[in-house]
Amino acid sequence: MSYLKLAQRNLWRNKRRTLITISSILFAVFFAAMMRSFQLGSYSLMIDNAIGAYSGYLQIQNPDYADDPSLDNTIPQLEEITALPQKVSNVKAVVPRLETFALASTGNLTKGALVLGILPESEKNFSHPQSFLVKYRFTNQAVRNIVDNPNITEAIKSKVKILEGEMYPTEKKLADALGDEAIDTTVLNIIKRECHYNGRFISASDSEVVVSSRLAKFLNLNVGDSIILMSQGYHGSSAAGIYRVAGLVKIPNPELDNKLIYMPLSKAQDFTGCYNLVSYWAINLKNASDESLQNTQDVINNMLDSKNVTVKTWKELNRVLVQQIESDNKSGIAFLVLLYFVVFFGIFGTVIMMIYERTHEFGVLISVGMQRKKLATLVFIELIFMALIGVVIGMGVSMPIIHYYHVHPIALTGNTAKMMVDMGFEPLMPMAPFGPYLYRQAIVVLVMVVLASIYPIRRIIKINVTDAIRHR
Amino acid sequence: MAVIEVINVEKTYNESQIKVTALKNINLTIEAGEFTAIVGPSGSGKTTLLNLLGGLDKPTSGRIRVGDVWVDTLKGSKLINFRLHHIGFVFQSYNLIPVLSAGENVELIMQLQGVPAAERRKIAYSLLEKVGLADRYKSKPSQLSGGQQQRVAVARALASKPNFILADEPTANLDGKSAENLLQMMELLNKDDGVTFIFSTHDQRVVNRAHRVVVLEDGVIKES
Ligand SMILES: Nc1ncnc2c1ncn2[C@@H]1O[C@H](COP(=O)(O)OP(=O)(O)O)[C@@H](O)[C@H]1O
Ligand SMILES: [Mg+2]
Repeated sequence: MSYLKLAQRNLWRNKRRTLITISSILFAVFFAAMMRSFQLGSYSLMIDNAIGAYSGYLQIQNPDYADDPSLDNTIPQLEEITALPQKVSNVKAVVPRLETFALASTGNLTKGALVLGILPESEKNFSHPQSFLVKYRFTNQAVRNIVDNPNITEAIKSKVKILEGEMYPTEKKLADALGDEAIDTTVLNIIKRECHYNGRFISASDSEVVVSSRLAKFLNLNVGDSIILMSQGYHGSSAAGIYRVAGLVKIPNPELDNKLIYMPLSKAQDFTGCYNLVSYWAINLKNASDESLQNTQDVINNMLDSKNVTVKTWKELNRVLVQQIESDNKSGIAFLVLLYFVVFFGIFGTVIMMIYERTHEFGVLISVGMQRKKLATLVFIELIFMALIGVVIGMGVSMPIIHYYHVHPIALTGNTAKMMVDMGFEPLMPMAPFGPYLYRQAIVVLVMVVLASIYPIRRIIKINVTDAIRHR
Repeated sequence: MAVIEVINVEKTYNESQIKVTALKNINLTIEAGEFTAIVGPSGSGKTTLLNLLGGLDKPTSGRIRVGDVWVDTLKGSKLINFRLHHIGFVFQSYNLIPVLSAGENVELIMQLQGVPAAERRKIAYSLLEKVGLADRYKSKPSQLSGGQQQRVAVARALASKPNFILADEPTANLDGKSAENLLQMMELLNKDDGVTFIFSTHDQRVVNRAHRVVVLEDGVIKES
């Protein structure tokens, strides 16, 4: 009769108590793992959306650019940097950008704009601005035609009136704007036809520009119109130009949607006089974990050692996002700690009960010659048994679910979704992939079980034999 | 030399402010092979005395010798070890470990002593045979009657090859017939194998079977 077997039988003896204890441990592991996974998943989505889809995980800049992001602190368009994806295995893509502020005007309307010189082809796989191209717009004419159409219900007409001026890059977004209920396909087709908006994204050799939707609305711009840009160029030169609008883009981030103008890089360089210069290079990585981020930063820094450039991580560039994640993370961890406390006291309670119920038995065992330490070990083995079973099942249940929701993120709907979209985030709740955080939950819960057993086990060691024998 | 020698023992419980003197001026010797009953009404100090003899509790003053060891000076794991090798215990009820079968309960003591598995199995079997329960080796305590459980407890007490067996009111929870059976069995063990028994009781029928009677009254030995 080994102790393990004895422990196993003791657990079997009071099945209900054992099951309750195991399930409380199981649920603790499950909830902790799920919660943490949702949290970490939402952070990486946030990072993907904000960083991966625009600023890049790393940027190569002039060392002075961070303090003074002006055209005077630009860097040359280096061959070495273009070749990075071939040379550094973790680099997925690299794009050059030239950024400058300009006054944009049409007729008597003027507004500040951010002119972004890009390589359209490279950018397609990086920040994919072409996917924001406006394909539907409720122009004046479109709204009038829809209102006059006898086949369309009054409810939809009144919605359409409200949407006058709005723009959409996809049919789905157009349909979503019309309401939560699915609309009849023939009606949708009529609206699509009426709202159809021409426009194309720029290519490298174009001399046209693409304008963000809110800026275009403010300037009363349409495809085919011209826009005048005025700015200060390289080393104080003056920059001015007139550009035709090739298309409009609806950028998810509202702030950018208010001011962005895409221009082919070479034209932006002509405009500013920054020949062969860029503001920075944005780099996307295959693996963006903290460790890889650091390593890749070091590798590229070393490669470009002689070039008077510096490599910055997104954490250095986007402190606001880092802080946002950190503060959210803190409240998440506080919640986890609360959960651990609940587990602790749950287990503590059942262990105390168990000790109480078995006091007589413990008294008999010590009387007949079982050493107190052996007895304590036996009870400890029982607890660890339950903890392990709970943790293993808890992990076993959470892992497939986490994997599933990592691959198929939960799609948010309603107002939360709209809010997230407006802020430039995908309305998704993905779970993080498996990682050390998962095993950490298991370990923390195990530690909680051990901590919860300390006091009860000390009580066994200190038990008064004669009292224990009298105990019923 | 007597197996047990009790010299001027006094036991006072000091719990919860009220002082209770459970035993006063106890002097007693017990020889090997005795079949002795400690008799007295409830609260007279029987359990207290047996606990002291078994090293489960310490006298407030006085000395207790078991074999050639002064048990009142033993402490901690040494004391537990001493009990394991020298004293057999039978309690009033719920003596057995519920998750272990009758045989395993007997084996447990030998396992604690470090007896090899095959040997302790053999001994456990023969001890159960001795108490008339060879066929109940695999039965769980809950499947046995109260009387059968007490017999297994006696077998378990014998398993350590103790100097003597202490039994605190072993028949108190048994019906008359089971009590009679248990006592007969104990007597037989005493007669055939020379096992020393010290048991407490307040049942006159049990007292009648004892070879020696120690009468306790209010913590004082009236007659021995
Ligand atoms: N742990 C204890 N604390 C306080 N008083 C006790 C304790 N154990 C026994 N007593 C008291 O000591 C006296 C003797 O008790 P006990 O030895 O149990 O008698 P018996 O076994 O003959 O019924 C009683 O008055 C009882 O209340
Ligand atoms: Mg008693």
